[in-house]
This record gives sequence, structure tokens and C-alpha cells, in this order.
Amino acid sequence: MTLKVYGHRLSQPSRAIIIFCKANGIDFEEVTIDFTTGKHRLPDFKEINPMAEVPGIVHGDLKLFESHAILCYLASAFPGVPDHWYPADIVSRAKIQSILDWHHSNLRRGALNYCINSALGPVRSLPLNPQAAIEDEKILSASLSKLESVWLKGDAKFLLGNFQPSVADLSLACEIMQLEVVDKKDRERILGPHPKILEWIDNVKSATSPHFVEVHEHLQEVKARIALLKAA
Amino acid sequence: MMLRVYADRMSQPSRAIVIFCKVNGIDFEEVRIDIVKRQHLSPEFKEINPMGQVPAIVDGRFKLFESHAILSYLSCAFPGVPDHWYPADLFTRAKIQSILDWHHSNLRRGASTFVLNRALGPGLGLPLNPQAANEAEKILRASLSKIESLWLKGNAKFLSGNFQPSIADLSLVCEIMQLEVVDEKDRDRILGPHPRILQWIENVKSATSPHFEEVHGFLYKVKARLHSRLANTKRNDTQLSMKPNPKL
Repeated sequence: MTLKVYGHRLSQPSRAIIIFCKANGIDFEEVTIDFTTGKHRLPDFKEINPMAEVPGIVHGDLKLFESHAILCYLASAFPGVPDHWYPADIVSRAKIQSILDWHHSNLRRGALNYCINSALGPVRSLPLNPQAAIEDEKILSASLSKLESVWLKGDAKFLLGNFQPSVADLSLACEIMQLEVVDKKDRERILGPHPKILEWIDNVKSATSPHFVEVHEHLQEVKARIALLKAA
Repeated sequence: MMLRVYADRMSQPSRAIVIFCKVNGIDFEEVRIDIVKRQHLSPEFKEINPMGQVPAIVDGRFKLFESHAILSYLSCAFPGVPDHWYPADLFTRAKIQSILDWHHSNLRRGASTFVLNRALGPGLGLPLNPQAANEAEKILRASLSKIESLWLKGNAKFLSGNFQPSIADLSLVCEIMQLEVVDEKDRDRILGPHPRILQWIENVKSATSPHFEEVHGFLYKVKARLHSRLANTKRNDTQLSMKPNPKL
């Protein structure tokens, strides 16, 4: 049964799935869907994901969208995947699920919108919106504080004080990495107060090395494109 | 130690959990956390859920928040819960998970923002915001269309064409029920174009009877109170405009 991952390396949840597959030696075909030029709205891709969003996967008869559902499915469907990614123990699993659920309306919402409104807009043919970015930053900063105080207490290497990463670590770290595309002074203002978060991201990088860095290289190209658009 | 469910029946996800436990005969103690009285922000409750939100559970071993995580956990932790709520089959489970994930930024966001800005805001010390309500209504209506076209195709009784409800059915239907508190003409405008959604809600009600209606009783009371307050306001306005002007 072949696995096809439809995604784009500009998309945080797409990166999480690509890195997960590479880190776990899962054979897959990466199909890039360029949502910056509207390819996600073409009928062919809507067959895969009627919501017209990346990522989506096809695995045999299964077509699946929503990155958290995909990560949990892959962790369960491929027997070689170590337990720490999505533990069989129902209490550990529930705690990870809780973080994944919280993510949507908090970190994802804040970070995604902040990046688009302060930097990424033009790359996606959307206007920048500095006013909205101020509001988005409040949600983002509040989320980073909550993340640190609730799930990275003490010497925690990974979320929940786990010794190895789960799908929650990967999903949330990929989200925060999107801040690579904003101005350095903005990034430092937002992440500077959170040394534990910076260390945790490094832990996730090491645990999924070299794939995390390799998959995130695309963001450097995006940064260059943003600079060009600004200069024009 | 018995399962404790910290809930406010005005909260859509709280209702989903309370109904789920009752339907499945799970022994639990319901601890009311009154959002209007700001009890969710008390230090005592923040010990249970540091995010200061309902619902949350304490089950002997641990504390848990986020309703979808709670529903999945309860389905697995209590052996008497039938498989259809959260199937062991990976494909089926993944599809249910997908709906639950989609819900946060779509139906939940649209419905809860719409209801807050159309009706419930003042009860929580927030002003009504017609602009925000209009924006939220767009998201809500798009979400209802997506649910129908994607997950309630043909004669589907429950989401994904399942013959029995899953936790996704319960979570999403409890969300839509919140529309009970808005004006009837708003509700008709929004739900009227979706007969399949209305039928699906009835299916979920029947499958979880009598608990669904019993748990929603609180919502109906709030609805009655809101509507009578509105009727009084209209009556006072009419009386004011009908009173002869003593200055003339």
C-alpha cells in the first residue's frame, strides 16, 4: 500500500507530516500542491481533500485530511513507529491529544495569522494587515506562555516532561518555526522571553535530525522571496 | 474514586461529555462550574484546568481538558462503551478524528462566535457585536454546507454514513444546538437550507434519548429567559412611543 503525502513545505502541518515520515523511515511519495498559486482549489486535489487544504494523504483506500488525524493514523498504521510518538497507554495518549486539540484555537491561530498579516501575505496574494497582526501577536504570546508554564515545566525536554518527542511536539514546533519568515526583531521580541521554548525546539530538531532542518530549508527561500517582493 | 466531570451546561462541549457519560452508563459526579459567575477563573478550578475552561475531568489517575481528548479517553477507558463511539478500526477512527479536528476552526468557531455576538455576550459581560456576528455567520454557514456535502451524503444517518453515532456526531450536534438561543428568524435562515442537518440532529437526539433533551434543558431555560427579556424590551419601547407627549 503506497502512501502519498500531498503538502507544501510552506505549510506548517505539511512539514510535520513529511518530517514524521522521514524520521520513521516510512516510504512515501511527496506531492507538492502549490497553494500560493491556487493549485489546492483544482478538481484533482479536491478529490483528495474536498476542504481544499494541505496536507492530505492517500494510503490505499484511505483519503485523509487534518494533520493531527494524519499523524495519529500514521503512528498507529506503521508498526515500526516507536511508541513515544503516540503512546498506546491511554492516559499518555489522552494528554497528547489534549495538546493537539488546544493547538488549533491557540498557538496555530495566533502564529498562522501573525505570520500572514505581518510578512507572508504577499507570497499568498493576501494583503499585509499590521493592525490584525497586533491582535494575532497577543494570542500567539499568550499561547507561548501557556505552553511553557503548563507543558514545559522544570527540566522538561519535551512536552509533558516526556523524555522523547510525541506528535504534539512535532506539530507545535513546526508551527513556531513559521516565525522564521518574519522580521528578526519581531521574532526576537516574541520568542526572546521564552528560552525554554527555544531549547525545546532544539530538542525536537535533534530528535528528528537531519530531517527537521532539511524540510525547513524551504522557509529560507520564502524569506528571500518576501525580501524581493518588499524591494519591488 | 468516581469520575468527576467539571461542566457548565451552557457550554456545548460540556454537554457532549455529560450526555456521553449518561448514555453509556458511566458513573460520574457532575461538578457545576458557572461561567457567568466566572467560576472557571477561580484558582481552585485552575488547579483542575490551568487553561481556565470547561469542560475538564478528573479520573482518579489524572486531570484532562479539551472535550475531544476527553471523549476519546472515556471511550477507551470504560470497557462497556460500544465500539461505534470511537471505533478500534484505524481507518474509521482516523476519519472521525479528522472531523473532530476540522470542527475547531470551522463549525465551532463560526457557531460559538455567532451566538456570543448575537445573543449570549451580555450574560458574560461582553457587548453584542453585529459585525463580528455577520463574519461568524459566514463561517458557520460554510461549515454547515461542508458537513452536509461531505459527511451526510445520500441517506447517511450519521457522519461518514455510519449507522450509529460516533463522538464526532455528539460533539458537532451539541455545537449546533447552541443556536437555540438566537432569534427564531436567524435560526431558520441559517438552518433552513439544511434539512439533512436537521434530520441528523434528530437522529443523534433519538440515539441518546432521553439524555440529550434532559441535558439541553438548561439551554432551553436560558432561551426562554432571553426571549422574555427581549419581549419586555419591545413592549416597553412600544408603550413609550404610544404615550402622549405631555409637552404638546
